[in-house]
Amino acid sequence: MGLFDNIFGRKPERSSNVAKERLLTVLVHDRVHLTPADMDQMKREIIEVIERYVEVSNPEAIEVTLTRGESADHLKADIPLGRTRSQ
Amino acid sequence: MAHIITLTSGKGGVGKTTTTANLGTALAMQGQRVVVIDADIGLRNLDVVMGLENRIVYDLVDVVEGRCRTRQALIKDKRFPELFLLPAAQTRDKDAVSPDDMVALCTELGREFDFILIDSPAGIEGGFKNAIAPANQVLIVTTPEMSAVRDADRIVGLVEAYEKGHPKLIINRIKPQMIARGDMMDTSDVVEILAIDLIGIVPDDESIVTSTNRGEVAVLDRNSLAGRAFHNIASRLLGNDVPFLVLEEKPSVLSQFFGRFRTRRT
Repeated sequence: MGLFDNIFGRKPERSSNVAKERLLTVLVHDRVHLTPADMDQMKREIIEVIERYVEVSNPEAIEVTLTRGESADHLKADIPLGRTRSQ
Repeated sequence: MAHIITLTSGKGGVGKTTTTANLGTALAMQGQRVVVIDADIGLRNLDVVMGLENRIVYDLVDVVEGRCRTRQALIKDKRFPELFLLPAAQTRDKDAVSPDDMVALCTELGREFDFILIDSPAGIEGGFKNAIAPANQVLIVTTPEMSAVRDADRIVGLVEAYEKGHPKLIINRIKPQMIARGDMMDTSDVVEILAIDLIGIVPDDESIVTSTNRGEVAVLDRNSLAGRAFHNIASRLLGNDVPFLVLEEKPSVLSQFFGRFRTRRT
């Protein structure tokens, strides 16, 4: 580790940045009072609704996350869809 | 009307009691009539921080339960005749006092004092509710650590729910060298996360430990940087516009350059 690593960004991320990012995530969850169990339940229900309309390739790969935005917090769902052509 | 200011934090051990003792003393040094109340019933500590532990006769619970007059329980400071401590009971628990008791007590004290500072216990339960019930201003003490900031966020929500206006923030135990290394969140990080107004930044300072060892407070020590920080907060409470201390070392031009380089890559 030295100047060289520093220039090429090989140093691990600064712990203060890690702390800030983790905190922001934790606080979004704290503020909406959503427990991990509620999150799971919500995720299952979202999948149910989506599957009524489109084919979801891998329900396990669905990611539902809470993130902090500039002026509002966001609930984001990332749902990978199957790529098979319709017949 | 008297300023009734509650200092709270959610998390324990971030420096509420030290901050209360220092702000109370600093305000008295500026000619204010001040009473500091230890609302941490069962875990009394404001007395030792102020070096008044040997003078206690009556306490907060004695006053509330009518065993003495309020005036009899007030302990006069060693140096400042207009600074008083109302100690917590050591052998009782928080249920011995109600929020209404605290409001009545502070209304009575407000007739004789300019400032009433209430040192809240940690947590968000009964003791905390007692401590904020009479407040017309709330100061939240935190440190730049994750658990303290998280708890502070929770307290901000509660203070707003109790309609105590917008609390102000004191960031305590700042370590400039760690910030310069990128290993501690800086003032702007914490303020951004909590989104409340800042009223003070206090450096981590060994003089706090040595002062407390002697039962004195850092604001009495002219060489203490933390002491200066507390004087500044006291001045701000009096409505003065005082610039914040410059604690954080500016990173060198070279490290700023590399720092920018690193962020761009990620």
